[in-house]
Amino acid sequence: MTERRALLAAAAAHIILFAALSIGWQFAPKPLAPAEEMIPVDFVDIADVPRVTEAPKPSMKAAPQETVTPEPAPVEPEPTPEPTPAPTDAVPLPEPKTEPKPVPTKPAPPKPVPPKPEPAKKPAPEKPRESKPLDTSVLSNLIDKALPKARVKPLDTSDLAKSIGVAAPKQARIDPRAAATLAQAIQAQVAPCWNPPIGGTDVRKMTVVIRADYARDGSVIGQPTVVSQTGTSTGNSDYSRAFAETARRAVLRCQPLKLPANLYDLWKSVEINFDPESMT
Amino acid sequence: MGPGLRRGDESSSEIHTPHKHPLPTLLSRCYTPAMRMIIASLALLTAFPAVAAPIRVDINSGIAQPLPIAVPGFATAAAQPTEAGTTAELGQRVAKVISDDLRSSGLFRPIDPAAFTTSVSVPDVTRPQFANWRTVAAQALVTGTVTANPDGGITVGCYAYDVFSSEELARQGFVTTAAGWRRAAHKCADLVYSRLTGETGYFDSRIVYVSETGRKTKRIKRLAVMDQDGAGHRFLTSGQNLVLTPRFAPNQQTITYMSFEGNRPRVWLYTLGSGRQQAIGDFPNMSFAPRFSPDGSNLIFSMSTGGNTDVYRLDISSRQLTRLTTQTGIDTAPSYSPDGRRIVFESDRGGSQQLYVMNADGSGQQRISFGDGRAATPVWSPRGDLIAFTRIGGGRFSIGVMKPDGSGERLLTNAYQDEGPTWSPNGRVILFFRSARGGPVDLYSVDLSGQNERKVPTPLDGSDPAWSPLLP
Repeated sequence: MTERRALLAAAAAHIILFAALSIGWQFAPKPLAPAEEMIPVDFVDIADVPRVTEAPKPSMKAAPQETVTPEPAPVEPEPTPEPTPAPTDAVPLPEPKTEPKPVPTKPAPPKPVPPKPEPAKKPAPEKPRESKPLDTSVLSNLIDKALPKARVKPLDTSDLAKSIGVAAPKQARIDPRAAATLAQAIQAQVAPCWNPPIGGTDVRKMTVVIRADYARDGSVIGQPTVVSQTGTSTGNSDYSRAFAETARRAVLRCQPLKLPANLYDLWKSVEINFDPESMT
Repeated sequence: MGPGLRRGDESSSEIHTPHKHPLPTLLSRCYTPAMRMIIASLALLTAFPAVAAPIRVDINSGIAQPLPIAVPGFATAAAQPTEAGTTAELGQRVAKVISDDLRSSGLFRPIDPAAFTTSVSVPDVTRPQFANWRTVAAQALVTGTVTANPDGGITVGCYAYDVFSSEELARQGFVTTAAGWRRAAHKCADLVYSRLTGETGYFDSRIVYVSETGRKTKRIKRLAVMDQDGAGHRFLTSGQNLVLTPRFAPNQQTITYMSFEGNRPRVWLYTLGSGRQQAIGDFPNMSFAPRFSPDGSNLIFSMSTGGNTDVYRLDISSRQLTRLTTQTGIDTAPSYSPDGRRIVFESDRGGSQQLYVMNADGSGQQRISFGDGRAATPVWSPRGDLIAFTRIGGGRFSIGVMKPDGSGERLLTNAYQDEGPTWSPNGRVILFFRSARGGPVDLYSVDLSGQNERKVPTPLDGSDPAWSPLLP
């Protein structure tokens, strides 16, 4: 009996010992696998090929856009427009679509290439001019009532009117109110599409003026271009390019504009100054 | 001109335009009463002669929201086997990692691939059908290829496009081992991020931190390292000795930290490649809170001698030690400015923990933190424009930032106990650790605006994180 008890006790002791060792094992300093060297990643330069954009879309009526290449001459200006197949093992990534003509070289492209708005403008599906029998009294009543309620800041039209007046030919009569109200209408339609890059260190001093040409149906003709930009410096060229592109994207996203067709001559070309001052 | 109008702005929603208006068709196409009003007023002024000068419009506000971006699975000409799966499988996984990276920044909103109208074949990679991506409201597109190389490695081609201008923005190829596919994906995400934001990326980077487990009284703390997104996690030390405050060297291959090895709290170096650990010197007294200089040639840390704790600089190659502060009190947590010219540190010399800035040689010490409570653990931003720190007050610990002159203080977090900030390589994101009351300790990230707070996954509890520079 005692022998059996002793056996049991011994067995139990062994189990406890084993368990204790197991737990101890868990906490024992595990020999850690020697930390590996970092896996190398090599950069493959694929910037020696022209950067080509999509063929112009009929709707966009864009002049063929070549973004500039950082490197000189394209490697092989072969005129095969076929997309070459997958890269198999090549180090330089395959050139998918070669541009037949050599691309002008420039340093890093800070600005979009000014588009050449093609004369072949889409005859906009413009509806016959509404507003022939314009009851101005009704309208002006409407506006007079509406204006004070809308807590829209009164527009300072003086500058605008002045600049238009200066620029316009003598015989042109521009109603400053028309221009200002038109500007407000464009602002109201484009601003919701602008996602400025707010976090950048230099955003506070950065503004960009984008020029866009519009067709009669309110769609953008070609690519909007950068007219001028402030706040740029040698250190922030990447950021200023990205900033300008957010403005261009806003213009391209928020189209067609809905503006009165009878004032088309006033808004067929628009310069929009993007300034995130009230967001920073 | 005033702030930009927004569609559906409440301020203008009270305006009602009668529908018996003479311009019903035009007006019905317009979005809001405000715009109807504007157009109605335009209609008053009919038929002006042509003008040469373009009309000028000012837009002073937009909407800050993440950019919708499409990242379809990367294409492969034919699924080839690699050590890490077929190139077709890798193509899907690479796109997922890129998508997750971009989303985590808070600046991008990757579109659910279920919404895509097409998959992307190899020819599509370089000639995308932009119309398809416009229909899913993508503003940017990332495509790419995964190809197996004869040597067993892979090439990941990465392309970024602006969907609305139909323009290629960037392209880059990355050659790596099959196992290195994640790094190639992070590199691609960094390319996209930097091209679209104009700032450098931070996705191909790592985090070292202290992994914690066990009861409060018998806490086991081990050094651990992982990719910025939590992948590739690995422990560096066994847990036999308590370790604290690991920090990367600029070359990312060495980590300095404090260990209680042999019951002598000292500053140590850990070499990632070899796993070698060594104490930096046989100083008689406790040394702690180490950090590298931006050029990697020096360490700065605190050492206690004769009841006083001061900041010292050690030249790593010559082992020459220089004392930088001498004031009575505890001077600790030193951190260099990115140009290496100045050092921010914390000191209780004025009665409570506050932040001080001095020149790198110890001259020109001046206090920069004021206001209520205490300020601790300062870290200079890699951009140089801000200092992140732990604000202690009102029974809470919060992460704050201030300019190097002490102005412009902002708190980024608001929880029970957030401390120990570290900067992402581009200075846009701050990682820190959060202790719940009597609960777990976890790593979190928050961006500089205080938005986009996220928990960083770790297998166990985590504290004392440090972000590496961008990997080469």
